[in-house]
Amino acid sequence: MSAAPTSATTASDVRKSASQKSAKRDRSALGSRLVQAAFVIALVGLWYIGTTYGQISPILLPNPVRVFDELVDVLATLEFVSDLRITLFELAVAFSISATSGVVLGYLISRSQYSIRVFEPLFAGIYSVPIILFLPLYILFFGLGPASKIALGVTTSFFPIILNTIAGFGYVERVYVLSARSMGASDYQLFRWVLLPAAFPIILTGLRIGFTVALLSILGSETIASLAGLGHRIVHLAEGMDTARMFAYIAFAVAIALTLNTVTSSLEARARRR
Amino acid sequence: MTSTAYPTQPRSAVPLGRRFKRWILARPGVARLGVIALLFIAWEIAARFFVDKIFLSPPSLVFTQINTVFETTGVPNALRVSAYEIVVAFVMSVAIGLAVGLAVGLHRFSQKSFMPIILLLYGTPQITILPLFILYFGIGPASKIAFGVSHGIFPIIVTVVAGVQNIKPILLTSAKSMGASRWHIFRWVIFPHMIPSFFAGMRLGMTGVLLGVLLAELYVSTAGIGYYTTLFTQSFNPTKLLGLISVLAAMAILLNEIVRRAELHYSRWRSD
Amino acid sequence: MAGNDLAIRVRNVSHQFGEEGSTQFVRAMLETSLDIHRGELLCLIGPSGCGKSTLLNVIGGLLTPTSGQVLVGDTEVRGPLPQEIAYVFQENALFPWSTVLENVNLGMMFQGVPKAEREPRARKSLATVGLSDFANHYPGQLSGGMRQRAALARALSLETGIILMDEPFGALDEQTRMVLGEDLSVLLSRTGKTIVFVTHSLGEAVFLADRVAVFSARPGTIKEVIKIDEPHPRKPGFMTSEKFTDLRNTLFALLHEEIRKAMEQSVASDRAAGGDGKS
Repeated sequence: MSAAPTSATTASDVRKSASQKSAKRDRSALGSRLVQAAFVIALVGLWYIGTTYGQISPILLPNPVRVFDELVDVLATLEFVSDLRITLFELAVAFSISATSGVVLGYLISRSQYSIRVFEPLFAGIYSVPIILFLPLYILFFGLGPASKIALGVTTSFFPIILNTIAGFGYVERVYVLSARSMGASDYQLFRWVLLPAAFPIILTGLRIGFTVALLSILGSETIASLAGLGHRIVHLAEGMDTARMFAYIAFAVAIALTLNTVTSSLEARARRR
Repeated sequence: MTSTAYPTQPRSAVPLGRRFKRWILARPGVARLGVIALLFIAWEIAARFFVDKIFLSPPSLVFTQINTVFETTGVPNALRVSAYEIVVAFVMSVAIGLAVGLAVGLHRFSQKSFMPIILLLYGTPQITILPLFILYFGIGPASKIAFGVSHGIFPIIVTVVAGVQNIKPILLTSAKSMGASRWHIFRWVIFPHMIPSFFAGMRLGMTGVLLGVLLAELYVSTAGIGYYTTLFTQSFNPTKLLGLISVLAAMAILLNEIVRRAELHYSRWRSD
Repeated sequence: MAGNDLAIRVRNVSHQFGEEGSTQFVRAMLETSLDIHRGELLCLIGPSGCGKSTLLNVIGGLLTPTSGQVLVGDTEVRGPLPQEIAYVFQENALFPWSTVLENVNLGMMFQGVPKAEREPRARKSLATVGLSDFANHYPGQLSGGMRQRAALARALSLETGIILMDEPFGALDEQTRMVLGEDLSVLLSRTGKTIVFVTHSLGEAVFLADRVAVFSARPGTIKEVIKIDEPHPRKPGFMTSEKFTDLRNTLFALLHEEIRKAMEQSVASDRAAGGDGKS
């Protein structure tokens, strides 16, 4: 700092203002945490008070304590296992199918700029239609069993996967390909050492999105028309007016979904860090 | 330095097959239409010759008999109601999303406090609470609208907040240095800057509203669209079912396209 | 200067992009011929769009010319010749997902160098460019100048007789360019390779080259070839000498009218496309 000091700007002043700024940042971070905590506590508090002392029908809004008890019961008796197993099975099968077909087809399409220009807008266009509309069709075709859910899961998750794969392989910077070719890279070497690592982060994102979307559409189809699975269980309890247990299952399903989301996101982040 | 004339081949010398190949190679759009046509042809053949008539109907039948779908009592009304639900849900999502987005985004502190909560809600699978919505709002339009709004507000809130927060500090600094008041800064710097994000959010919001309303409609099998999809499914009438789905898909595409065009129009100043 | 062997012979090469009459038609380069001697450093210089990079790509086998041929030794160039020619690109072509050392190793693997030889050759070329301490860094962690040195190390490790460089210092600031230019001159005096070098910078051309081929505006061809008679390695003092200034002025005079022509061309084509001539 070469300005002529009018007020004495010393090094210690600079250090002091920097540390003041970071203290201010810490205070505001703490403040926001408090607000969040207060928000959650107020919400739960109102819920409890409303249902314990208020006139709200337990069929509409059960007491949080009862919900908690039901949740404990569901977990302890392992009642959730059969439904969870079905949902996860549908998810695993659907995702495997869409991931392999999406990545393979995406790679094949990405091999020429022309085929990218032909197919990419096509897939993007179909993706913009709410895929849930296909569900009645799949129910007609496959019935109410897991097959229709898997079919919908595949249909929904196929598109983000293939679109990201095309984007990943198709838009590798030309200079990397030229450089590798100039050094004598074979087709396989080009794929293995240039295209694949270049495309990998984008494909991984597509896979994560596909996974999330598959889960959502499977839960959705279980809710709308199914004989089993987590979505169905929630509907079944709703129809039986067992709202407390339903809340418990909703909490459980949300927890499962959030856990899966966190796992896939962190897997993606870790693989991208290079 | 010499310049030589470049010899070109007269058109008649190039064989027809190669000329067609070059023509189609220059027009990916045409090739795409060709692919779509092939898919329809495959559907037609599969439905006619390979799949049982109770499971799949060929497009020729579906589209020529689309009037029977509309003639089925109650279908036009159900479609009208669904369209109404979508529009209302969208308008409400935009209003609520914009209001909440501005309220949260304009101050660093409120953004830091509430965004994590909003993002958490955005990330939860709302489909799990669809039965609750029906429980609370009934099987009429109210629950569909509510579920649509619940899906539509989040992308709008998130993009409005991002649009407000992403403003380059230099723009704010230069406005302040010219003596702008806080209202001026909002009206003439922050608000216009946020508009492209807002429109992008609206596009996502429309997708969300469509999803929410359609999910709710399909779930309620005793009235509305859901009644008819269930009816056509259970009576193994793929012709009418496919017809109804096509109409709904067309409606969704149209609405999406409208919002998308609006977004393009209002984002013109953006260079990114 | 080296012996009478011609490392590269360019014979009546011309190139155009697209079909005549189509909107993408560009006549990139008019008929051009050139002889490049073994062990010399030849610079290609000219205004934007004159075809110098096109010619470099044709020599390197990355582009097939619409007419004419290039001979490297006795072989006609029909595609990349990884055993004879190494290519250094302008925008960094180092793979960002691999470390510097891995990048150098990959180049040799593509070329077909047996695994056992790769590591010692890699280490040697990294030492030559002064990046031994950064072997395990990722390109993203390095400065622009260091990245180009790594790209050069990769090219050197391929042990080809010819190195082609397309504005290798183009993305760097002037001070880094000067230093790297001096380093390059020292390096080249030791290795005896044939180098063809595309640049925009007059000073760089005079400082580094044995001969400078000046291109005319688009569609370009070689207007004139200037000889720079100064032994390698070039000393920093050369840059301030009168000889340097004279040569630079000659180049400037040759180029100036071509640059003006190129600018007018771009304004005209911008107007034709509906612009306001201001971009």
